[in-house]
Amino acid sequence: MQEVSETTGGAGYGIDAIPIEDMKDEGKKHYQLLDGEVHLRGSKSRSSGSMAFPEREVCLETGARDMETFLFGGEGVLYSFSVVHVSSSRPVPYVLGYVDFPNGLRVLSHVVTDDPASLRCDQFVQLRATDDDWFVVPALSRGE
Amino acid sequence: MSKVYMVGAAMVPMAKYRNSSYSGLAVPAVLNALKSAGALPADIQSVVCGHAFGGMLTGQRIVKELGIGSIPVLNVDNACSGGASALNAAYKDIESGRHDVVLVIGVDKLTQFGGGTLPLVQEDPEVQRGMVMPALYAMRARRFLHERNATVQDLALVSVKARRHGMNNPYAQFRSEVQVEEVLNSRPICDPLTLLQCCPTGDGAAAVILVSEKGRRKFGKAAVRIAASVLHSGQVTAGFRDMLRPEITSHSARDAYEAAGFGPQDLDVIELHDAFSIAELVYYEALGLCAEGESADYLKSGKTTYGGDVVVNPSGGLLSKGHPVGASGVAQAVEMYWQLTESAGTRQVPKARRGLTHVTGGGIAGLDHGACTVHLFERAL
Repeated sequence: MQEVSETTGGAGYGIDAIPIEDMKDEGKKHYQLLDGEVHLRGSKSRSSGSMAFPEREVCLETGARDMETFLFGGEGVLYSFSVVHVSSSRPVPYVLGYVDFPNGLRVLSHVVTDDPASLRCDQFVQLRATDDDWFVVPALSRGE
Repeated sequence: MSKVYMVGAAMVPMAKYRNSSYSGLAVPAVLNALKSAGALPADIQSVVCGHAFGGMLTGQRIVKELGIGSIPVLNVDNACSGGASALNAAYKDIESGRHDVVLVIGVDKLTQFGGGTLPLVQEDPEVQRGMVMPALYAMRARRFLHERNATVQDLALVSVKARRHGMNNPYAQFRSEVQVEEVLNSRPICDPLTLLQCCPTGDGAAAVILVSEKGRRKFGKAAVRIAASVLHSGQVTAGFRDMLRPEITSHSARDAYEAAGFGPQDLDVIELHDAFSIAELVYYEALGLCAEGESADYLKSGKTTYGGDVVVNPSGGLLSKGHPVGASGVAQAVEMYWQLTESAGTRQVPKARRGLTHVTGGGIAGLDHGACTVHLFERAL
């Protein structure tokens, strides 16, 4: 890497001119355990308070580069879902769903269930994880 | 009809960024271009994004990252001319009065291909026969050496000048000097072109903010006027083509000079498409800088470096700065913004008032090139 100067312009550049290494941690865990519960790792802007998942460097609302990691979890609500039977992405079948969390974030998740036919929009789901991946499972009601 | 101005410009230092996505590459350039213009994401009324290999919705993938949306975002592919074609599209929208503030992005990530020559479209019969970009330029070079009183040393001098200029550009991929012997002894790519006569593979992004007269009053920053913006496509022939007279470039330049009301003799600074050493020599003539047949002498006389008639490629050009194809046309405009606002640091061309950028695009059968863009710039007081 070249020498870095204090300001960015025609004569030189500061660290704000360097590309964001957003592919460096591909495959990085997007979740962690907190008090035995699975939580997702998101980012929150110090200035605007905007939140996003997964983690990112730039505020989606203002472009500010002041994002901090925060954890969120608990029960979510299954906004919608689909059992995927044909896919160029991975072996089928699998269930994808959008999960709405109480903090206002919507997250695309795998829904792991033995009985996809019983899934319903607006039902509660809970975060779960194996050693290397996270997903949601149906929860019969809040708090279960 | 409005005049069109650049009021902000930025780029990332050209390099290999295997850990960055297209948005990871371009977002810092966009944020810094906004900052230099004193503009906010919400000020942007339209976005044009040039690229060659970004895939679907490259522009949206970039600008959504800073909350720009609900406005037109247009993605432009014109091979190496993609970035400059994006500039042309934005120019037209401002000139016509459709928008007052337009963000132009150029971006490409060539490390995704792992090195080697640029992947071309396999539908093309010459590509099926083995055509690669350095082979096309190598045949130009071979013909140049055959027809002109020129040597391979003359070709190498283009790389020597480019690398000498690039030494002073912190944004350049190569920042060390080379000598003629080193250029000629580097590994053969397509005879007679050697490695150091070919632009490097790399990644990069650049962004400029274009505004109307109304937009310029709003921001009040140092401005560079775009005096002409010309885009041409190649004209097919199945017959003979003089590879030393690229009509797509000479016609584009002619139209640009006519639109701007000034000509090659009025230029202080040029960023031209030196993807390979031979290109610069051929383009001196096509852009009207020197008479036909005189390009090698014109280079050797020092007329195209500091202290000469016009400084060609003060950034180091594609040979030194790097050539992430879709980014290059915008990166040339960024260099022009810095040069014409006297903010280019140690590579500043003294008293630069007028400049030209030129980039061609693509190798397809029957055409000199697929696309060519020429822009003329003037310092705005």
